[in-house]
Amino acid sequence: MKPLAALTVLGLLVLLGLGASGLLPRPELPLPEHVAAAWGARNLVATIVLGVRLWDTLFEILIYAMTIVGVKLGLRPVRWEGAGPPVAETPLLRRAADLLLGPVVVFALYVATSGHLGPGGGFPAGALLGTGLLLALAKGVERLSAEVYEPTLEWVKYGAIVAILALTGVVLVLGRKGSPYLIAANLLMTVEVAIGAWVILHRFAKSRGEL
Amino acid sequence: MEGLTALALAIALLGVGLWTLIVRRNLIWKLLGLNVASNGAILFLVALAHRPAARPPITGLGPGPSADPLPHALVLTAIVIDFATLALALVFVIVLTERRHTQDVRRLERDEEHGWPER
Repeated sequence: MKPLAALTVLGLLVLLGLGASGLLPRPELPLPEHVAAAWGARNLVATIVLGVRLWDTLFEILIYAMTIVGVKLGLRPVRWEGAGPPVAETPLLRRAADLLLGPVVVFALYVATSGHLGPGGGFPAGALLGTGLLLALAKGVERLSAEVYEPTLEWVKYGAIVAILALTGVVLVLGRKGSPYLIAANLLMTVEVAIGAWVILHRFAKSRGEL
Repeated sequence: MEGLTALALAIALLGVGLWTLIVRRNLIWKLLGLNVASNGAILFLVALAHRPAARPPITGLGPGPSADPLPHALVLTAIVIDFATLALALVFVIVLTERRHTQDVRRLERDEEHGWPER
């Protein structure tokens, strides 16, 4: 095992050295501004994440989905013995959660759909929506689990991943470009990241005995 | 925040995080240290993208240089993966605490050598 590990590390170092030395041919990289114009976008970061480095983003989403599956499987047999008292629910918290949940969801959708033109994108929008779900968690976990049925939510997440794969197939294989693809990818990523964050929070609350 | 200040802060965060990761014996503290260190790395990348008097990497905001968009795109990936792996590592710590009733690395290693105590 050890020689194999050493060989792997050595191979990686040699590859890094080769890459840094300039012996390997380097592709001519277009200017980010030109790429953004070709994609019909103004946000250069969104163009890079969803256009130029789409493979990278794709595998990042897959890693994220796998860690969520790991969290689910790992926490399944766990129920803490010495769990503390449930989180105190105050009227202020519940009212604030009721008031803020709608605007947070709307803002997350705005950030997702305008992410290719300005600051924003799928990941920030997903984080926003996930935080909105955390607010919903403050509404009271029992009420929430009555409102949200987790298995359905997870099927939505897997559906979003399949849709992202199909979309990346269209972009990578058929070479399609344009802002509709960016918007669709951002929206799907929002769904995926938000549901993932929700599943993680929900599982942790459940293992703590809050549910 | 100017680029040099951000770089200095990033290196300080990395140092504090790695120190916590190596020296602390509690697994939760180790994970916290790892997270602080990775946030330092993220700040380092963002600071690398800084250019003097640069505008955000969005076209059509006016003349002048824009910040380098590539580190920003890298960081976007790193933040999400960071969050997910931290959650997974915490799950492993929870399971370990359930089974072995300790989060002390030295005790875990000692038990590994001398056999696990019966419970």
